[in-house]
This record gives sequence, structure tokens and C-alpha cells, in this order.
Amino acid sequence: MSGIYPSVDHEKDNRFGRLQTKLITFVVLPYYLSPVAYTKFWIDTEKHYGTDYGSNPSSELKRARFDMRNKLSHLADAVKAHIHDGDTVFVGGFGQCIPFATGQEIVRQNRKSLTLCRSGADIFFDMLIAAGCVRKAVFGYVGNPGIGLGHAFRRAVEAGTLEVEDWTNFAMVLRLHAGALGIPYIPAATLVGGDLPVGVRTAPVTCPFTGEKLVAIPALNPDVAIIHGQFADSEGNLQLFGLSGDTADGALASKRIVATVEKIVPAAAIRAQPDHTIVPGFRISAVCEVPYGAHPAYVEGFYGRDDAAYMEWDKIARSAERLNAWLDTEIRGTKSFAEYWARLDPSRIADLVAARGRELASAA
Amino acid sequence: MTELSEGAKFVAIAAREIADGDICFVGIGVPSLAAITARRGHAPDSVIIYESGAIDALPPVPPLSTGSPSVVADTAMVTSCLGVFSMLQQGVFDLGLLSAAQVDRFGNLNSTVLGPYATPKVRLVGSGGAHDIAVLAREIIIMMPHDPRRFVEKVDYITSPGLRTAANGMDADRTRGKGPRCVVTPRGRFTFEAGELTLDAIAPGFDEAQAVEGFGWKVPHAHVVRRLPKIDEALGATASAVLKSWGRGTD
Repeated sequence: MSGIYPSVDHEKDNRFGRLQTKLITFVVLPYYLSPVAYTKFWIDTEKHYGTDYGSNPSSELKRARFDMRNKLSHLADAVKAHIHDGDTVFVGGFGQCIPFATGQEIVRQNRKSLTLCRSGADIFFDMLIAAGCVRKAVFGYVGNPGIGLGHAFRRAVEAGTLEVEDWTNFAMVLRLHAGALGIPYIPAATLVGGDLPVGVRTAPVTCPFTGEKLVAIPALNPDVAIIHGQFADSEGNLQLFGLSGDTADGALASKRIVATVEKIVPAAAIRAQPDHTIVPGFRISAVCEVPYGAHPAYVEGFYGRDDAAYMEWDKIARSAERLNAWLDTEIRGTKSFAEYWARLDPSRIADLVAARGRELASAA
Repeated sequence: MTELSEGAKFVAIAAREIADGDICFVGIGVPSLAAITARRGHAPDSVIIYESGAIDALPPVPPLSTGSPSVVADTAMVTSCLGVFSMLQQGVFDLGLLSAAQVDRFGNLNSTVLGPYATPKVRLVGSGGAHDIAVLAREIIIMMPHDPRRFVEKVDYITSPGLRTAANGMDADRTRGKGPRCVVTPRGRFTFEAGELTLDAIAPGFDEAQAVEGFGWKVPHAHVVRRLPKIDEALGATASAVLKSWGRGTD
């Protein structure tokens, strides 16, 4: 059997055949008979053709679980899936609705080399800087409003371990707004004079119509926005009542958006007052129900600002050791925001809830 | 009438700079306290604006942050930061009320860094809206506690530019606002008509030397240094009440 025929290893062929048979019998067939394959087929079909589920309640349930419009997620999963090492992260909220729960989860998952950006930043930046998550800060202000400096921020800049870009609040708002407008820059009459314009990338620009000399402020399009609001439906349509600062501009300028809310409500509740929706569901990557998720900031209609916590932060953060110990016990030492929250004194929580401000209609 | 605290006197003196009808963009601290005092007292038609988006705010207690709940507790309008800063850039705000870590002889303000920018001795909070207000509000009033460390001949870093003069390296054609009208301290009032910080008036209870005590350079005095009028009882009471509900002092 030598010569023109190549030698054939029949035993090897047989082994391969037996393997194929086993694969088909024990892996492929069970998969196609399983609910997993059924669901995948079902979702693919839904993606291509859409489906009218009528008013069948069981269909509604399926819709909530498998619909591509469904953005519901656990916060830990959302952070894992959408916030990566090295990302530029826009942090939403201005005084109220600061996404502290998401910030905590970023610390727990030990994200590295983030660039944090927003206009006026409070101790949220301090927390992530102290936890070693941040490489660079791009901002108008970083501090503890009305109380003092951001101590972790201050130490990191003085030690040369944190890169900074000093803008102004208006300039940061314009950068994000230009990003949301989908244009590369926006002309403005700020950032003229003094030392601030020297350190940032702006350019002189002349109005083609009037000849007025202005400053070109470059757009900013962060990789991911983290924002907090009062309500959203399962599709992620997100509502924010009260002060929102630059939240909408920052979110809409970002490529991905991870949202937390006080309460997930039925779509009908959102659609009953759509003028409070600041981000449409199709722009949201994930939405998570995290009650009290803005603490120690506040959320109108739910709880007041924990000024005492901001004052305590001033004491804790003055010492790097003490701050690190606090992070170890309160953040890294808890599994979730809910566990962190459960450790707070109930009387303190009662006081915060009593200071919730106006009642919001769609809380019902 | 009980004796006013130093802080309440300062708030009252600062509040008097606000005239009825003034549209005021205010920062936290004495600027906010003075604006609330004026609005509740002698200037009921003045309008308080916070950068967080509150327009015609009337905080029941002075806010710790421009985004605090009290800012929106009794306000006429809530808009975005963009909404507020748009109006600022349009030039419809009469006054910007500012404070800072340092002020110099040309009215430049520093809230960014003590020491060199690249190797800071103390890294401060940064501009916030201060630079924007300094450049875009029609006129600026600077409110500073009397602290010699804060009055220096040249600030370490110009966060918010002051005088629109060539001597200060500024091009008046490129800046929309007029710049600083005055600096008020608990001990006096300073103006810039002479092209640099000049003692214009002294507060009740202080003399000319005390008004510039400890400043880092020789501050010129006006030909005639005026005396600021005594703080009347109503203004003093309002300032005291506002400062008390704030509870955090004036520096």
C-alpha cells in the first residue's frame, strides 16, 4: 500500500467520527432543544421583526425579561459591562443626583486610570481619587462646596500623581454641549485673560459674519456617563426633577450612559409627564434601581442633602491613612450600596427622608 | 440694639453694594450671604442667580453648595448650567459677586493654587464659575475677609482676571464685562479708578491704617478717604439672621 496513495490512519478517522457523534448527541442537540436556544431565536426574531404581545400578562413578563428595549441591570453588572479601565467618565449631578452608588461600585471593582470630567465636582472626585481609580481630572471645580478643599485631590496634585486640566464651569458645560450638539467646537466669550487659558487647548476664532473675536472651546465626548435620576422605566427613559446642572449635556455627549434611579416605574408613569425625561431610553446602556443612590448628595422628592456627611468627609479626608481606612471598611468592606446604606443610623436616614422636599407626582 | 458680630458687619457692608433691581450672579460664602441679606432687606427687587441653574432664588437658609436644596426651595426658575451661563454671556447680569483665596493690586483673583502652578504648595478648588463671572458679568464686586495673606501685590495664579488695562495684561476689547468695581472687607472699601487697588472708604470702628494692615504692598489711599455710613438696625438684624442660619463664619 505504498506509492501513490497516502497512508490513511483509520483509527484516527474513527476516533474523529466518534467525537463528532458525541458532540452532536450530547452538546448540539440538547442546545437546540433547550430554552436557551429557544430564547435566543426568540430575541433574534424580535430584533428583526418586532412583536406585538397584546395584553397577555405572561407576554408582558417575557417582554420585560427579553425585549431589546429592556435596559434593567444590576449596578455591579452595569459597571462591569460598561465602565472600563482608562475610560473618560462624565459624572452627572449638580449638588443633587450625584451618582455616588455608581462611584462606590467603581471603587469596589477597582477600576484604574480613569479620566473624570464634569463642571463643578464635589467629594465624589475625592473618593475615586483616594481609591486610586483616577489618572486625570478635567473640571471647572473640585472641592467640598461651602466647606473647603478636596483633600485627596489636593494631595494627589501636590504629589504630582494626578494629571489635571483646569477649565471653568462654563467652559466645561460648553465642551459637553458641543459634544452633545455633534460639533467639534463652540465659540464663546469666556477664557479670555489671566492664566487659565494658557493651560488648556483653546484657539482664537473670528466670527465669519460679524468679525467678533471669540474663543473656540473644543467639544468633549466622554466614553461613558454615569448619572442618577428620580425615575426611569425599564427602557431607561430617565427623569430628573430639580437641579440637573450639566447632567443632560454630559450624558448626551457620552458614548455610553449608565444610569441609576431611585425608582423604576411603569412606562405609563414616564409617558404621563414626558417633559421631565432628560435622556431617552435608546441612549441608555443600563439602568439600575438603587434607592438612596445619590447619598450623601440629595434627590428631590426622596431625601435631603446630608450636609453632616460632607463635613465628616472634611475631617476624614484630611488624613490619607484615615481616608483609606474609611474606604476599606465602608466601601471595599461592603458588597453593595445597599449594604453601605444599611449601616447608616436609622435616625439619620429618617431626618434625610423628612427633608425630601416637594412631593413628585410620578412617585405613585 | 445688641452689638453686631464682626461677621454680620461684614455681610451688611457687602450687602450695601447691591442696589435694588440688580441682577446678581453669586458664589457661595459672603457673596451669597450678602445677596440674601440685600434681597430680604433694602433690595427686594434684586435677583439672585446661582450657577447650578436657580434663577431668582430666595434660599430660606444660606446654601452650603450652589446646588443645595435650599437654592431651589423658593426659586422662580430652575434651568441648566447652560441656561444660566448663557444669560451671563448675553450680558444681562448686572453684578457678579466673587470671593477668592487671593486678590492683588489689579483686582485679579486666585482660587486655583498657592505657589507655582506646576509644583503647588497648596492646590485649591479651581475656577468654578468665577472666571466666567469675572469676564462676563457687567461689573464685579469682590468680597474678601480682612486677612493679610489674601491681599498680595501679585496673585500666584490669575484664575479670574481683574482690571481691563494694558498694565494688567488685559485687552479691554476682548472682554465683555467691565471688571471689578470694588473690593469690600470688614474694614473698608477699595476701588480701582486710579488704575490699581486704592483705599476709598473705611468701615465704622476702623482707621485708615487698620484697613490696609498687613497687606503685602503699600496700598494708595484716595485723596479723601470716606467713612462708610453706620449699619442701620434693620440691615444689621437681617445680616445677623442670615449669618446665624448659615453658621459657618465669613471666611
